[in-house]
Amino acid sequence: MTVPMNSRYLKNALFFIAACALFQGASAQINFNKKPAASTVITTDQVRAELMAFAPEGVQPGKPVWVGLQIAHQPKWHTYWKNSGDSGLPTVLEWQLPAGITAGDIAWPTPKKIPIGTLANYGYENTVLLPVPLTVARNFNGEQLDIKLKAAWLVCEKECIPQEGDFTLSIPSKSSTALQSQAFQAAFDAAPKPLAAGTSQIEVSGKAIKVVLSGLPASLTGKELAFFPETGSVIEPAAQWTQSWQGSVWTAQIPLSGQRTESPAVMPVVVAFDKISYRIEAPVKGEWPKVAVAAQLPPAIEAALKSNASSGATPIQAPAASLTLWAALLGALIGGIILNLMPCVFPVLAIKMVSFVKVKDQRTRVAAGLAYTAGVTLSFLALGALLLALRAAGEQLGWGFQLQSPAVVAALAVLFTLIGLNLAGLFEFGNFLPSRVASLQAKNPTVDSFLSGVLATAIASPCTAPFMGASLGLAVGLPAVQALAVFAAIGLGMALPYLAASAIPAVANMLPRPGAWMVTFRQLMAFPMFATVVWLVWVLGQQSGIDGAGALLGLLVLMALSIWALTLKGRVRSVIATLSIAASAFFIWATGPNIIKTQESQAASSTLPSNWQPWEPGRVEQIMSGGQSVFVDFTAAWCVTCQYNKKTTLSNALVLADFEAKKVTLLRADWTRRDPAVTAALAQLGRSGVPVYVIYKPGRAPVVLSEILSVEDVRAELAKL
Amino acid sequence: MLSRRTFSSTLLLPALAVGVTQTHAATVGQAAPDFSALDALGKSHKLSDFKGKHVVLEWTNPGCPFVVKHYGGNMQALQKEFTAKGVVWLSVNSTNKDASDYLAPAKLMAWTVEKKAGASAVLMDESGKIGQLYSARTTPHMYIINPQGVLVYAGAIDSVPSARVDDIKTATNYVRQGLNETLGGKPISVASTRAYGCSVKYKDA
Repeated sequence: MTVPMNSRYLKNALFFIAACALFQGASAQINFNKKPAASTVITTDQVRAELMAFAPEGVQPGKPVWVGLQIAHQPKWHTYWKNSGDSGLPTVLEWQLPAGITAGDIAWPTPKKIPIGTLANYGYENTVLLPVPLTVARNFNGEQLDIKLKAAWLVCEKECIPQEGDFTLSIPSKSSTALQSQAFQAAFDAAPKPLAAGTSQIEVSGKAIKVVLSGLPASLTGKELAFFPETGSVIEPAAQWTQSWQGSVWTAQIPLSGQRTESPAVMPVVVAFDKISYRIEAPVKGEWPKVAVAAQLPPAIEAALKSNASSGATPIQAPAASLTLWAALLGALIGGIILNLMPCVFPVLAIKMVSFVKVKDQRTRVAAGLAYTAGVTLSFLALGALLLALRAAGEQLGWGFQLQSPAVVAALAVLFTLIGLNLAGLFEFGNFLPSRVASLQAKNPTVDSFLSGVLATAIASPCTAPFMGASLGLAVGLPAVQALAVFAAIGLGMALPYLAASAIPAVANMLPRPGAWMVTFRQLMAFPMFATVVWLVWVLGQQSGIDGAGALLGLLVLMALSIWALTLKGRVRSVIATLSIAASAFFIWATGPNIIKTQESQAASSTLPSNWQPWEPGRVEQIMSGGQSVFVDFTAAWCVTCQYNKKTTLSNALVLADFEAKKVTLLRADWTRRDPAVTAALAQLGRSGVPVYVIYKPGRAPVVLSEILSVEDVRAELAKL
Repeated sequence: MLSRRTFSSTLLLPALAVGVTQTHAATVGQAAPDFSALDALGKSHKLSDFKGKHVVLEWTNPGCPFVVKHYGGNMQALQKEFTAKGVVWLSVNSTNKDASDYLAPAKLMAWTVEKKAGASAVLMDESGKIGQLYSARTTPHMYIINPQGVLVYAGAIDSVPSARVDDIKTATNYVRQGLNETLGGKPISVASTRAYGCSVKYKDA
C-alpha cells in the first residue's frame, strides 16, 4: 500500500497484514508483540486485554463464579457493545472449559453512545470488563479450573483494527479467587438492572417507534435518559429523537432506520442516567412497516418479460424491457406513420395534403413540408419533455397522462367539434384549413405549416396513447436524451408522408387533382371528427360521470350555436351571437365544475362484469397465496386498443370458458383516472401505458401478453397453466 | 414589491424540488435515488444512465481492515464474475478529505489497479452526499439496484461479520446470492441485512 500514513497507523496496518497472513495459514494462533501464544494479558498499541476470574467462594456448584475479559483502551479508542450501532462489531468471547463447566452470556455493562461523523456507535472507552457467569455442575471435581478464551474485538478510533487473541488462566477450585473483585464489582454495577416489563411497551407508528417505559425508579423521574436498544438495525442511532416524562412514565419518540432489517416482537432496551441504568424487555405493539416488499416483484416480472421475448409470445410488439433503443426508434417511426391513418388525424392531414398540391412552386412546397415536420416533431418533443419533467418532479405519470385529466379531454372534445363543424361547412376560418385561425397564413405560409404541425400533434395525442404503448413505455425509462429521441421519432414518422409528398414531385403527382370532389370529401371527413368527439365524451363520462358528459354535450351545442350565429349577417347576428355567447358563458360557469371534477366513487369498478374484480395493490399476491392463477387487465376508458380487446378477445366465449376451467381470477386495473398505484404496477412491468395483460401463476414467473390480444394467444397461455 | 415577491418565489421552487429529491433516502423495494459523481479518473457517471442494467454499489475505503479482508481476492472475484454478466459495478469512496486514510483520486486508482479490482468505476464522494443518500454506514456496505432502478438489496457483503479472511469460506455471500437470484428472475430471498465494517468516514456534519 503506497498510502501516506502516520506512524501509528502504519504499525497498525503492518500488524493487520501480519495477522491476515497468519490467519490464512494452518494455525489460528497468533502472537501479539512477541508474547507467548496464550497468556492472561495481551497488549496491543490500542488496548491492554486481560482475562480475569472472580470466584470468592471457590469453583463450587451453586457458588458465584465469574470470568471476564477486561479491555483497557488507549485514549480515544473504543470497542463495542452487543449492538454496535451504525458500524463496528461486538466483542466475541469463545470459551474452552473443562467438562462440568458452562459459560453464560456476557453481562454487558451499559455502553455509551459514540458519535462518528454523521453516524453513531454504542461502545466502551477507557476500561471495561465484560463479565461472564460460569455454571459449575455437581460432578465437577477438578483441583483447579483451567480457562481458555479465544477473544476477538474490533477496536476503533476513526480507523478500525480487528484484533484477537488466545488467553489462558487457571484458578484453584477449593480456595477463593477474589483478587479482581473490585473490577468485577464495578462491572456488575455498570450492568443495567433488569426491570419487569409491566405496562412498558414500544409502539410502532409510521417511521418511528414510541417507547413508553413505566416502573422506572423515582430517582430517575424528570431526568434526561440515554437510550440503547439491544436489537441492532431497528432505529437510526445517530438520528435526533425526543423524550418526555408524564409523571413516572418515560416516553421517547425515536426514528426507525431506513434500512431496518429486524422486526422484533420484543425489544430489550437499556435506559441510563449517569451510572444508573435499567434493562426492560418491552413488547412491541403495532405492525412494523414492511421491509422490502416491492423487491419481490420486479425481478420476477423481468423474468417474465425475458421468457416472453424468447418464446415469441408477443408477435406484434416485443415487450418493452427487451426492446433495444434502435428497435424502439424504428417502432416509434412506424407508429408515427400509422398515426396518420387514425380517425383523429386522417381527415386533417388528408385535406392538408390535397390542398398544398395546388402550390406549384416546388421550393415553397418543400419549405411548407419542412415547417410542418418541424411543427410536429417539436410538439412531440415538448409533450415528451413535459412528461419527463413531471415524472422527474415525482409525479406518478405514464404515457396517456394527457387523457387522465377531464379538462384535457373536454378541451379536446371542443377542438374536435370545432374542426368537425368547420369540415362540415358550418363556418370557415377564412379558408377551410383549420389551422388558419389567424391571418398568419397569408403573411407567412411557413409559420402556417408549422402551426398545422402543432395542431396535428394536438389532435393526434388521443391516438398515440392507445397505439404506442411499448415504445413509449420504454422511452420514459430511458435516459432523457434517448427518451426524447423516441418522441422525436414518432413526430418524424407522423410528418413523413406529408414531407414526402412535398419534397418528391412524383408523390405529389400521384395525388388526385383538386376539384369539386374536395368539398364532398371534406364534408365526409367531418364524420370521423364527430366520431372522435363521441369517444371523448364517453371517456369524460367515465371520469366525471353522466353529469359531466351531459354538461360537455350541452356546451358543445351552445358552442355550435355561437359559431353559427357569428356566420350570420346584420342585426340578427349581433342579437343571436350575443345571446348564445352569453348563454355559453353562463353554462360554462354553471356546469364547468361538473365536467372538470373527477368522480370520487369507483364507478368503473361497480360497473365491472360479475366475473371481473377490481385490481388493487397486493391483491395479486393475496390470490396467488391461495394457489390460484390471476389474469390482470390494465385498461383505461380512453384507450381504444383496450376497449377493442375487452369487447372481442376478453368477451370471447372460448376464452371465458378457459378462464373458468383453469380457475383464473380476473382482475381489472382501471387507469382511466390518475392512479399512482396502477402507474407503479405498470412501471414494474416496464410499461408506462395501457393496455397490459399479465397472467400470474403461483411458483412461476408472470407472463405478459401482447397488447394486440388475440384469442389464440390467450388460450395458448391458459393451456400452459 | 409584488414583482420581487414573485421573483423570489420562482427562485424558491426549483430549490425546493432539489431538496425533496435529496432527502429521499434509499429504501429497499423503492426506487434507488439517482446521483451523479466523478470517478477516480475524472469521468462523470450518472446512476440513471445505467437503467436497464443491474447495478451494484460498493462502499469502499482501502484503509479499512474489513475492505482489506475482502480485497484479498473475494471482492475482485465477485466483481469480475458479475461484470462479465453485464452487471455495472460502482465502488464508492465516501471518505472525507481530512480523514487519515483518505486517498486522492490518483492514489485510489493506483490502489484499484494494484488490487486488480474489477469495478466498472470507482466513484469519488468526498462530500459524502451519495453515501448519505444511501445511508451507507460501513465499508464495505453493498447495494443492488435492478434494471428498473429499484433498490433490491442493501446490507452486508456476507453473513459472517468479522475481519477474518478465513470466515469468507464459511459465509453466505449475500451479494452473490442476491445477484444470482435477481439475474435468474427470482425474488431476492435476503433483501436487507445489517452491514458490518468500519464506519464510513463522513465529513463532519
